[in-house]
Amino acid sequence: MSLFVIAYYTLLLIASCLAAYFNQRSAFLLVFGLTLISFIVGIVGGPGALAVIAIVAGILALAAMVSYAFREFMIAIASHDMAKELRTAPLTAAFGMFIIFTYAVAGIFAPWIAPHGEAEVIASAFAPADDNMLLGADQLGRDIFSRLMYGTRNSVGLALAATLLAFIIGALAGLLAATKGGWFDQFMGRFADVIMSIPSLIFALLMLSIFGPHIHVIIIAVAVIYAPRVFRLTRAVAGNVVVMDYIEAAKLRGEGNWYLIRREILPNSTAPLVAEFGLEFCFVFLLVAGLSFLGLGIQPPTADWGSMVRENATLISFGDITPLIPAAAIALLTVSVNFVVDWMLHRSSGLKEK
Amino acid sequence: MGDILGLIARRLGLGLVILFVISIIIFFMVELLPGDIAQAVLGQGATEDNLAALREQMGLNKPAIVRYLEWLGGAVTFDFGSSIVTGERVTGLIGERFMNTLFLAAYAAVIAVPFAIILGVIVALLRNSIFDRVANVLTLTSISSPEFFLGYILILFFAVKWGMFPAISSLSQGMSLGDLLYRTFLPALTLVLVVTAHMMRMTRAAIINLLASPYIEMARLKGAPPWKVIVKHALPNAWAPIINVVALNLAYLITGVVLVEVVFVYPGIGQALVDAVSKRDFPVVQACCLIFAATFILLNLAADVGAILTNPRLRHPK
Amino acid sequence: MVKSKDVLLEIEDLQIQGYSDEQWIDIIKGVDLTLHRGEVLGLIGESGAGKSTIGAAAMGYARDGTRISGGSIEFDGMELTTATEEEKRSLRGNRIAYVAQSAAASFNPAHKIIDQHTEAPLHYRLKKRLEAQEDAMELYEKLRLPNPEEIGFRYPHQVSGGQLQRAMTAMAMSCRPDLIIFDEPTTALDVTTQIEVLAAIRDIVDEYNTAAIYITHDLAVVAQMADTIKVLLKGEEVEEASTKEMLDNPQEDYTKSLWAVRSFKRPQKERPKNDVPLISVRNVDASYTGGEKVLDDVSFDVYEGMTVAVVGESGSGKSTTARVITGLLPPSKGEVLFKGEPFPPDYRNRSKDQLRQCQMIYQMADTALNPKVQISEIIGRPAAFYQGLRGSELKSRVDELLDLIELEPSKYYNRYPPELSGGQKQRIGIARALAADPTFIICDEVTSALDQLVAEGILRLLDRLQKELNLAYMFITHDLATVRSIADEVVVMQHGQVVEQGPKEEMFKPPHHPYTDLLLSSVPEMDPDWLTTLLEERGVDNVGEAASSDIDPDAGKVQGTKI
Repeated sequence: MSLFVIAYYTLLLIASCLAAYFNQRSAFLLVFGLTLISFIVGIVGGPGALAVIAIVAGILALAAMVSYAFREFMIAIASHDMAKELRTAPLTAAFGMFIIFTYAVAGIFAPWIAPHGEAEVIASAFAPADDNMLLGADQLGRDIFSRLMYGTRNSVGLALAATLLAFIIGALAGLLAATKGGWFDQFMGRFADVIMSIPSLIFALLMLSIFGPHIHVIIIAVAVIYAPRVFRLTRAVAGNVVVMDYIEAAKLRGEGNWYLIRREILPNSTAPLVAEFGLEFCFVFLLVAGLSFLGLGIQPPTADWGSMVRENATLISFGDITPLIPAAAIALLTVSVNFVVDWMLHRSSGLKEK
Repeated sequence: MGDILGLIARRLGLGLVILFVISIIIFFMVELLPGDIAQAVLGQGATEDNLAALREQMGLNKPAIVRYLEWLGGAVTFDFGSSIVTGERVTGLIGERFMNTLFLAAYAAVIAVPFAIILGVIVALLRNSIFDRVANVLTLTSISSPEFFLGYILILFFAVKWGMFPAISSLSQGMSLGDLLYRTFLPALTLVLVVTAHMMRMTRAAIINLLASPYIEMARLKGAPPWKVIVKHALPNAWAPIINVVALNLAYLITGVVLVEVVFVYPGIGQALVDAVSKRDFPVVQACCLIFAATFILLNLAADVGAILTNPRLRHPK
Repeated sequence: MVKSKDVLLEIEDLQIQGYSDEQWIDIIKGVDLTLHRGEVLGLIGESGAGKSTIGAAAMGYARDGTRISGGSIEFDGMELTTATEEEKRSLRGNRIAYVAQSAAASFNPAHKIIDQHTEAPLHYRLKKRLEAQEDAMELYEKLRLPNPEEIGFRYPHQVSGGQLQRAMTAMAMSCRPDLIIFDEPTTALDVTTQIEVLAAIRDIVDEYNTAAIYITHDLAVVAQMADTIKVLLKGEEVEEASTKEMLDNPQEDYTKSLWAVRSFKRPQKERPKNDVPLISVRNVDASYTGGEKVLDDVSFDVYEGMTVAVVGESGSGKSTTARVITGLLPPSKGEVLFKGEPFPPDYRNRSKDQLRQCQMIYQMADTALNPKVQISEIIGRPAAFYQGLRGSELKSRVDELLDLIELEPSKYYNRYPPELSGGQKQRIGIARALAADPTFIICDEVTSALDQLVAEGILRLLDRLQKELNLAYMFITHDLATVRSIADEVVVMQHGQVVEQGPKEEMFKPPHHPYTDLLLSSVPEMDPDWLTTLLEERGVDNVGEAASSDIDPDAGKVQGTKI
């Protein structure tokens, strides 16, 4: 054990000295700061605490390396303009893109990746992990890893469908309101105000209690709740475009609303709208996960992350982290999308300042 | 001053109108049910006699508009009728739970609000530094995590591994305040984590927005030291955005509280709502929704009134 | 004016970089500057020349997203590039003060004017609060602010723009600094308001023998204010000389082009006899929803092939008139006739052919052209929309239009607006209007965002097109030089009313309506003595806001008498 401690400090100190020698100020501060913190943590928590720090640092370093390699990979295969954009992406955004890519693969190829069926009972309840079951079995003896894979499809797919519907309704209404103005604009604005005055989760619960927890009810409920938010934003984005003289010129030419939206407004609002789509997806995904966790989302036996947390929650009181894995899967995807959106928002606001 | 009072009165009026429209939505959405409520509650196998009895008990034989007016009249005096599952008065069922929920939300808010605003201002001042970037990643992570994820992680470490706090918040009559705070610490902390991240980010954005104003540059070019630029020139104009941030997040607390109550088995109104939803106990669902929506509107109203009151242009009209 | 000749500010080889697109780019590329005590230096150049950045650097201040990357700035023996933040701060507001472009945005809305005024003297412990307040009132009086005893106790939004700008100058004076940086202090103001601010600034700078750097893009203004003028172009110095020498004998071609008094002037055309006017605005009243009347009984005619200039300050209703003619704002009373036939008041009710007849060219080419649409489509769309041209016919029409505006078709066909220069964009805007094959074009301040030479090119082009295509123009402008060069007839507007109208030659000769008189006399001229002479002639109390508010638009209305 003491060998580990010696190696630990030696490595950190070598890294600090190298960073200082090559004038990498922030890297030096980071590594040496970590060394000093390790002193304190090591004294308080012993070698075990140091091992935790080493593992966390190792995971972060791995994530950074994956992100870096993935970004370079994308730059290599992207077109010239895209590559230029991608070079500005921070590692966090590259990490986000990598995770989104991984989830997409897992979701699409779930039946091939998963070793067992979605609802197939193969072991006793809460059986521990073995060669056959990577993460053990759930409360009915189904393979958790397989359910996790299928869950990607169901949970992400449902959230994606709901976001798309909300977006189509909200964005269309927003673009139309900005173009037409007048009473339509006023009415839609007021209507959105009213819907948004009901907390989203509460409104979803109300609708589910009335129409029952079916997939189409969830999709429509989420669309009703989030469309006003999308409307608000689209209205604001398009509102900035509509005041431009080229819109006035097109109106005075006698162009119809549909031409204005399609040819004049949309090309100038895509960047913020794409970022907004990511943001809304995160909210919707969390809302749907919350509903599933409450037992009001996708109904069993269909695998779904939110309900998987709920079904296996009792394991936590025994110190078992298995039920946290689907929850972590939810958090990881949301974080990833948020990282990418953060970069895109930063890009579009940076362009504005110029 | 007349202008301000007028504006506030108009804002209050608008809030009332919205609340009224929402009460209509909440009540009449139930009417959209295929068949009627009695059918939905008793299911397909119900006999005509049972259905008739339930209809009679719920007053379903009256026209919807009459029932709505009765319901609204009751709601104004906090009388929401009785549960169709247990037959208890709804007010008795959720009254105490509502107070518990308010207590939990207030507990979280008291910690989160000052903490988040101070951190938000600090991060805004140190923008683009390494500290700001780390804070950005951390807050994004916290926002992205579902409440139940944070809640269970806290349970895993603080309750199961280290045994510092109870995992389940069982409350009883006559507990001392200290005991109460101790038992509800984990749910409050979960809420604090989520809300602080939101609030920090929004405060940061509001302050940075403000620091770009020409009058802030003017203050710097008059030789004002940084603390004075913030305290004397930025802060008096920052109240409106900060009040807004706080109100928005308190409103967010209300939603977050439902999930957290379920995780920690906390006897609040959120639990009651979730139970009622799965049992399709409509009077309880409607009452809870109306209470949540009213709180939400009230908070937004308070924020807008606060913004009006702190706006120098409105306080000192031409 | 006696001037001590010690050097106050010495800038050598100043380099400043700006952060954009993830990298640092040079924006100031080695500028030298020497300023003596009591001297006023004018910094002029187009937008993007870096004048404002240099102004801030003179205080040792780099705005967010910029950094001083090289050179030295020495203020009264102190090197600012190496000084600590503390040392630099102790100069600001105390020995170097700053006057910003927009006073309305630069005063903190949360504090009274006088509290902001006394902030610096109290901070530096130069005066007690009451002394500082008395001093402020004294300065307000010197700057000819109304109610100097009381005005400081108001909040910024309770005071007008011209007054705020003077209050800011007073604030800059509060510690009696050695140097004041004036950053375009009158750009946002109307010409009549500008005069009193200029007069006030000049007096106070003279009285306290303060050195100043006066930043502006307006040559005539800088000629009134500065002892020396330095011309900048894209972060580099073009030349520097005393004001008189610079005006009489500029050395560099770029400076000459700036100085060139507009040489273009075309003969005035007469109205065709016994003809129906092409556009006739008849007794039009208009207001925005629920607001006050913006137009009050406006009438004038535009004849085929002629140019009518509509002149007035902001808020006079000239742009609203254009909106009424195009149908964006239906009038509440009166009507617009086209060749004697009434035009439907709302553009939505006009036929395609009616819409085609009346086209518009905008002030800001940046917002007038969709940045995400190719030039070929911007110009081609009206031709396809009105004439139904397709395929090769459409292409040859676009080529023809590009030829007409003197841009080579093959080079511009597939490009996007952001890739073009300001003048080129404005030409594309003209081509789009021409593509509809109109008879009447409204030109809304089309040259005011452009540099002198480019603007003249545009005016020549518009004149040539008018001759070739027999177009009628309505020229909305506040620039009398433009009116002189291109107009046939002039309409002067104030507070939504037409105060005077007639043929151009007569409009520039007295007698005028008092407002026309004020407007004409308020436009700065390229003569260093213009302001002095004007103030002597009219008296300081008979210029600017004070004078214009005395004028009753109805008084001595000379409308019609000259036609």
